[in-house]
Amino acid sequence: MKHLKPMNNKAKLVDAALTNDDSRSERLNEVVAMQTVVGCTGTTDPGWEVDAFGGVAGLCQPMESDLYGCADPCWWPAQVPDIMNTYPDWGKDAGSAGNDWRKLGEVFPADKK
Amino acid sequence: MFSRGIGVIVKCSKNIVMKFLSLVLLVAAVNVGAEDSRDYMAVVNRPNLFHLIDLEDEKILRSCELPAEVSPGTVMMSPDNTIAYILGGRFDRIYGINIENCDLVFDSQFKKANIRNKSFASLSISRDGSEIYSIHNPVVIMNDHYQIETPQFVVYRAEDGIGAEPIRSFPIPRQINIMATGFDGKVYLSGADVYSLDPKTGDYAVAIASRNADRKGYGQPDILTVWPVGGINDEFIRMYSIPKFSESSNAIEETELLWGYEKVDLKTGETAVKDFSPLEEVLFTGMLRPHHPDEFYGVLTQLKRHQVSTQSVIKSIDLERTYYCINFSSDGSKIYLGGTYNDIAIYDAESLEKLGNIVLPGGDMSMSTPQIFASSRGLAGSH
Repeated sequence: MKHLKPMNNKAKLVDAALTNDDSRSERLNEVVAMQTVVGCTGTTDPGWEVDAFGGVAGLCQPMESDLYGCADPCWWPAQVPDIMNTYPDWGKDAGSAGNDWRKLGEVFPADKK
Repeated sequence: MFSRGIGVIVKCSKNIVMKFLSLVLLVAAVNVGAEDSRDYMAVVNRPNLFHLIDLEDEKILRSCELPAEVSPGTVMMSPDNTIAYILGGRFDRIYGINIENCDLVFDSQFKKANIRNKSFASLSISRDGSEIYSIHNPVVIMNDHYQIETPQFVVYRAEDGIGAEPIRSFPIPRQINIMATGFDGKVYLSGADVYSLDPKTGDYAVAIASRNADRKGYGQPDILTVWPVGGINDEFIRMYSIPKFSESSNAIEETELLWGYEKVDLKTGETAVKDFSPLEEVLFTGMLRPHHPDEFYGVLTQLKRHQVSTQSVIKSIDLERTYYCINFSSDGSKIYLGGTYNDIAIYDAESLEKLGNIVLPGGDMSMSTPQIFASSRGLAGSH
C-alpha cells in the first residue's frame, strides 16, 4: 500500500481502515464475523481442492454428495451459485446432484431475469 | 386380641396384595409400552418431500409433499410426536405437518417486503408443544445497499397455524444456528458461546463459554454445526476442534489438535465440555451413544467410534460415501447416517458393520437433519 494513493472515497475508507488505530478493534471484530456460515459471501475456507490437513482424504466423497450442502447455504460462494438468494432455481431440474450433475451449469449475472 | 391380630394380618395381606397387583400392572404397562414403542425417522429431501420411516421395518410409511422446497431441512418433532416442524423454503419458512395425514397445520414465511430474513437451522419447540422458536437474521434490501439488522429470537404460537406471525421477539447475539429446548423451558442456543434463554422474557446468559472460554493450555475452539442432533438422548450437543499446547511451548509442532464436545443435559441443565479424541479426520456431526455415556461417534467420510475417557478411537471405517448427519436408534444399537444424497445408511453401533440402506424417493437430503423418535401410538397401522 506504500506506493498506492487512494483516488476515491471508497479507497480512502480502505486506506483509513488500515492505518487508523482507533478503528482496529472494530475491524478485527468484522474479520471474526466473516468466519461464519451466516455470511453468504464471507466464508473464506478452502474449497473442494484440499482438506484441513492439506490432503484430500477429509474431503467429501464424491464431491457431488457435497454439492447441494454447499450451494444451499452458499457455503462455497466462489464455486457454486447461491441457491439461497440469487440463483434459487439453479438445481430445479437436478434433484440428485450425483445423477443430474450435467444439468448444473455455470451462471452469469446476465442470466438473471 | 386374637381376632384383632387376624384383622391386622388380613389388612396387611390386603395392602401387600394391592401393592403386588399395582406392581404387576405397572411392570405390564411398561412392558407393553416397550413392546409397542418403535423408532421412527422424520426426514425431508429434494424437491419438497417429507418422509416418515418405520425404522424397525426399515420401511417408508408415508411421503408428503410440502408447499415449497426444503432446505435447510431442519426437522423438529412436536413433544407428542404428531407434528413434524420443518425449517425450509430456502432458510426462511417454517412448515408444520401432521405426520399421520400429511395435512399442513403450520406455515410461516419470514420474508417481509424488502426485508430478507434467513434462519440457519434454528428451530425448536416448547416442551408443551404450544410454541415454536426460531431465529431471524433480518437484512433490509435497499436500492444501493444492504442494511443488516439485529438478529431476533422469535416465538410463534403453534395454534396460529397457517400464516402465523411471531408473538414475541427478542434481540439476540449474531451467529446463532442450532437450538434445543430444555425440560425447564429454557432454550439453548448455539452461537459464539452456548446461551440459555428464557423464551418468556428474552433474558439470556452464557451456559457454556466457548469462544470466550479460558481453558488453560488451550487455544480457541473452532465449531461447525447446522445439525441439531442429540434429541434421542435429550441432549444439546455440538463438537469443537481445538489446539492443546504443550507445557513448554506454543509451537505448532508440539501442539495437539483435539476433537471435543459441548453438551447440555436438557433434563437437568447440566453442562459438560470434554475432549474425546485426537483430530485425525474432519467430522461434521457427532453424538454420544444412547445408554453408553463414554462412547462418542462422529461422521463425515469416515464413521468413528471413540472412548471419551481415554480419548481414543475404538474403531474407524471408511464409508462408501460422505454422510453429514449421524443419529442412533433409541436403544443405541444402530446408527443411522443421513444428509447429502437420498439414502439413509444403517450401521451396527458395536461393530460398525453396514446393515443396509433406506432409499428415499426424490432427490438429495443435502444438509437436512433427520430426527429419530420413539412412539407407541401405532403410526404403522394408521396409513
